[in-house]
Amino acid sequence: MVNPILLIAVPLAFAFSIPLFGLISKRAGRFIPPVAMLFNLVLSIILIPDVLESPVSVFLSGFPPPFGINLYVGPLGILFSAVIALVGFLVSIYALDYIKEGAEEKYHMLYLALLTGATGVVLTGDIFNLFVFFEILCISSYGLVGYLGNKAGVESAVKYLIQGSVGSAFNLIGIALIYGQFGTLNMADIAANINSVSPNQLFIPLVLFIVGFGIEGAIFPLNAWLPDAHSSAPSTISAVLSGIAIETGVYAIARVTFTIFGASDILLFLVLLGLLTLLAGELSAFSQNNIKRMLAYSSIGQMGLILFALGIGTDYGIAGGLFQFINHALSKALIFLATGYMIYRMGSMEISSLEGIGKKMPVSSLCFTVGAFSLIGLPPFAGFPSKFMIVLSALEKHSNLFIVFIGIVFLGTVIEATYFFKVIQVLYFKGAPAGVPAEKKTEISPAQETIKDRGVITGAPIAALIPMIILALLIILIGVYPKAVDEILNASSIELLDRVKYIQGVLR
Amino acid sequence: MNLAQLILISLCGAFLTYLLGKASSRIRDTFAVFISLLLIIPLFCLYGKNEEITYYSFLGLPLILKITPLSWLFAIAVQTITSLSVIFSLSYMKGKERLDFYYLMLLLVNTGMLGIVLSADLISFYIFWEIMSWSTFLLISYNRGPALHAGMKYIVMSIIGSASMIIGILSLYVNCGSLDFVQIASFIPRTSSGYTLFILILFCITFGIKNAIAPFHTWLPDAHSEAPSPFSAVLSGVLIKMGTYGFILFMYTIAGLNIIINIGGGSFHYLISILAAITIIFPTFIAVLQDDAKRLLAWSSIAQVGYIILGIAIGTGLGFVGGVFHFFNHAAFKALLFLSVGAVEYRTGTRDLNSLGGLIKKMPITFFCALIGVFGLIGMPLTNGFVSKWLIYKALILGEHPFLAFIALFGTWGTIIYSYKLIHNIFLGQLPEKFSNVRKAPVTMRIPVIFLSLVVVVFGILPGIPLKIIDTISASFGFQPQDIQIWGIASETGVLNMVNIFAAIFAALIFVWLLFLMGRKKINIAQDDSYAAGAYVPKDKYNYTVDFYKPLSGMIKPYLRDFVDDFYLWLADVIRTFSDKTRKIYCGDLGYYISYIVLFLAVLIVLKMGLKIW
Repeated sequence: MVNPILLIAVPLAFAFSIPLFGLISKRAGRFIPPVAMLFNLVLSIILIPDVLESPVSVFLSGFPPPFGINLYVGPLGILFSAVIALVGFLVSIYALDYIKEGAEEKYHMLYLALLTGATGVVLTGDIFNLFVFFEILCISSYGLVGYLGNKAGVESAVKYLIQGSVGSAFNLIGIALIYGQFGTLNMADIAANINSVSPNQLFIPLVLFIVGFGIEGAIFPLNAWLPDAHSSAPSTISAVLSGIAIETGVYAIARVTFTIFGASDILLFLVLLGLLTLLAGELSAFSQNNIKRMLAYSSIGQMGLILFALGIGTDYGIAGGLFQFINHALSKALIFLATGYMIYRMGSMEISSLEGIGKKMPVSSLCFTVGAFSLIGLPPFAGFPSKFMIVLSALEKHSNLFIVFIGIVFLGTVIEATYFFKVIQVLYFKGAPAGVPAEKKTEISPAQETIKDRGVITGAPIAALIPMIILALLIILIGVYPKAVDEILNASSIELLDRVKYIQGVLR
Repeated sequence: MNLAQLILISLCGAFLTYLLGKASSRIRDTFAVFISLLLIIPLFCLYGKNEEITYYSFLGLPLILKITPLSWLFAIAVQTITSLSVIFSLSYMKGKERLDFYYLMLLLVNTGMLGIVLSADLISFYIFWEIMSWSTFLLISYNRGPALHAGMKYIVMSIIGSASMIIGILSLYVNCGSLDFVQIASFIPRTSSGYTLFILILFCITFGIKNAIAPFHTWLPDAHSEAPSPFSAVLSGVLIKMGTYGFILFMYTIAGLNIIINIGGGSFHYLISILAAITIIFPTFIAVLQDDAKRLLAWSSIAQVGYIILGIAIGTGLGFVGGVFHFFNHAAFKALLFLSVGAVEYRTGTRDLNSLGGLIKKMPITFFCALIGVFGLIGMPLTNGFVSKWLIYKALILGEHPFLAFIALFGTWGTIIYSYKLIHNIFLGQLPEKFSNVRKAPVTMRIPVIFLSLVVVVFGILPGIPLKIIDTISASFGFQPQDIQIWGIASETGVLNMVNIFAAIFAALIFVWLLFLMGRKKINIAQDDSYAAGAYVPKDKYNYTVDFYKPLSGMIKPYLRDFVDDFYLWLADVIRTFSDKTRKIYCGDLGYYISYIVLFLAVLIVLKMGLKIW
């Protein structure tokens, strides 16, 4: 069997070797991330059958856990790492053509570091290690948000940095408290001894973790950095931030609450928090004119939905939440990629400036539509089975409270559907019919992307189209054949719920 | 061919049409007509069969297709109307943009509808329902301009309906453990009536929205008038009837006759009937006020759907037969009228009732067919509309609902008023100068219209053919079977013999004709003579069709404000304002952001330590 450490080691090594490749050829750097991510993707897929059979726990430096740092590759970890690798791979192909100017090498390096960090977070079995990987993820994303170097980018990167640092500080305090109480940093070891400490003493670190990871996980009201950061980053970065980074934050919350603390009394609170996040995100997106901000707010809403599903706390509900995670990673990445070239070609992020682009960029528009339909949860796209599972598990609670909650979730869905359908109308049906030249937009939003040539509007280049088409096909495939991910989802949700098995898996 | 293959062919046909369109528009058009007509044949052969097939398993749930007499009837109506609409589109849509997309969506809607009526479990029902919903949205938006607004209105209401439906479906699944219609039907009697009512209300919201029952009707006038005319015919003819199908399915297949009649002390089905009556009365008179031909027809559709639901919800065999037959008839004559108006619009470029007029000489066939459609709409004898309305009246009277019967009758008077406005303002009266070069409709437009007129007349004279089928459906739901003959109904409640009526009218016509023949004295009177009582009327400036029914409109208008629509728009506005306020949370000031984080942490700790919430 292959060693899962390679999932972290190889991309990390590649990341820091990019400047070396840069010595050979200036253009070589851009080909490194696809290679590294393809490696991760293949490795993750190879590992899936083994992991489903029995989770793999590997430890470093010869000390078995709880003394050494270990990686715990369970179904949940491998699911996340596979999705991260998949999205990372496709986005990096897109970036081959998209990222052309500026500090290209640094972009690719940070990009790989971000993905490495995310992979590390989901695979590690050590809480401090998780913190470290989380920092790798966060710091590289601060850098990437400001990549364009324009005013908006730098400003939001700094805002993001400050809020992220506050979160990190909380996390660190939480870890310190945990270490003080248990004398160990191994998650399984803490989990095994969690009942030896009074609940009140546990509460403070738990809350610190929820707040700390919640900032990255875009939980309301900790997500104020997100709309700025997502909208001023280049679209490729928005895609990974939205599709991977914030979901890693939610993963960390789930891991902490379910595995470490086994906190079942906080679940209802998570549900409420999820609903609040959902409503705040969808409402904010509703009347937004800037397409990337709209998508960013929509991501907040989606995170709320995932949190809601996790808070339901049944194995089916968690599986639904994880399904929604897959769906969101694919769909939101797809949508951001699709809008990337639209914005680039039109030179503006205003939704109204995208009028009639469906004719000029048919594939991008179609991909946007597929992603949007999937996020709304329409069949036959991937969002349908995930929403189906979430709602079903909420109803299985047999409580009137949850029927009300479901009503709120659907209120969010209706709002989400409204703004997505509005954009789809703009893409395809707004503006003058073909043949009549549309008025030229002269206004350019200050948060524009790099504009080179707005004379002729053509479709996106082939390197951008391929990843988009693959993502769209995957969304439809999963939507039509949800069985493809069924097994791993169930195993993952059991991993989250079955703490004993997790503890035994690590501390054999 | 089994049912799954049927749906698959329909689906693949839609996408193939799209791909063929990339090669050549001619091949695409031919293929679209071919595939839509082709599907009628196997559907027709399925009559009386009882086929069931489990074609897929979704999240561990079996997806089942099944043909029942009810779904057969609906499937045939769906496929026929779609085929005619495709044929009509050939010339109507010629030269418009994005035709591949148009045909793809039209055929996709068709697939969705076929899937809905053939589904035998709720999850496939829902999937097809949604596919139909979003493809309809894309088609409604197709015309740009005001159509965008109409599309949004439609899809928002549709999504609300879907949300309501999926909650109902999943709640049933949680409680019953299966989504198979048969299993649910056997589960419903065992559960409490409160729960049954809850489920029924959830589904009634969904079907009420699609069926445009008041107070969920507001999307329809916009959507029907802004959609491309061939698609308006599909929308009005069959698509909104998917709601009707849903009503029948839930009230009679799933809940069953006994439960429907007795639930809530009999108030449930009565309440639906009252809603249906409201749906008849207001939209009918709102239709009178309309100056846009398609908008008039759209409001008329709402009102006619009221008749259908009234017949179905009243809970007697006669009413059910009448309601289902009226569905079938309405599909025929409303599609006919939308297509006729579409043909007029195609030739004249307008559907404004104030500026049209006098087209009878220019488009005689279209006029004649539209006249038949209007007769059917009013319910004149010798059209199928007469038979179904007669059945509904009869059911209401026998069921001792004098109030509802009166409303149904009153609605018909309103129908006569607006139908006359429609036919007069387009075809009668004075021909405006600018339309003097109008030619008759192209042949691909005439074929569907003529076919539908034949349906209206033939089933008006020989109503027994469809009634027989409908009666078997109604008998299978536990209603008393009616004594159906080919010429009508022979039962103790009163005989309806259309052939006799036909013979009588025919004889009377011959007699009158002979009378005229013998009189043989013909005087030509100028049109304005009788209208202006001999006073001089400047010919070129006077148009009889402007401000038709002005006094009547002035009289009824104050009572007919669509305040439901105003309410929804107000609600949307409130949400928009609220969302703007919500967005202010993200004000851009870092100080606030940090304080959110710290405050959130503080609140959590206070909640735990101080209040001991959990």
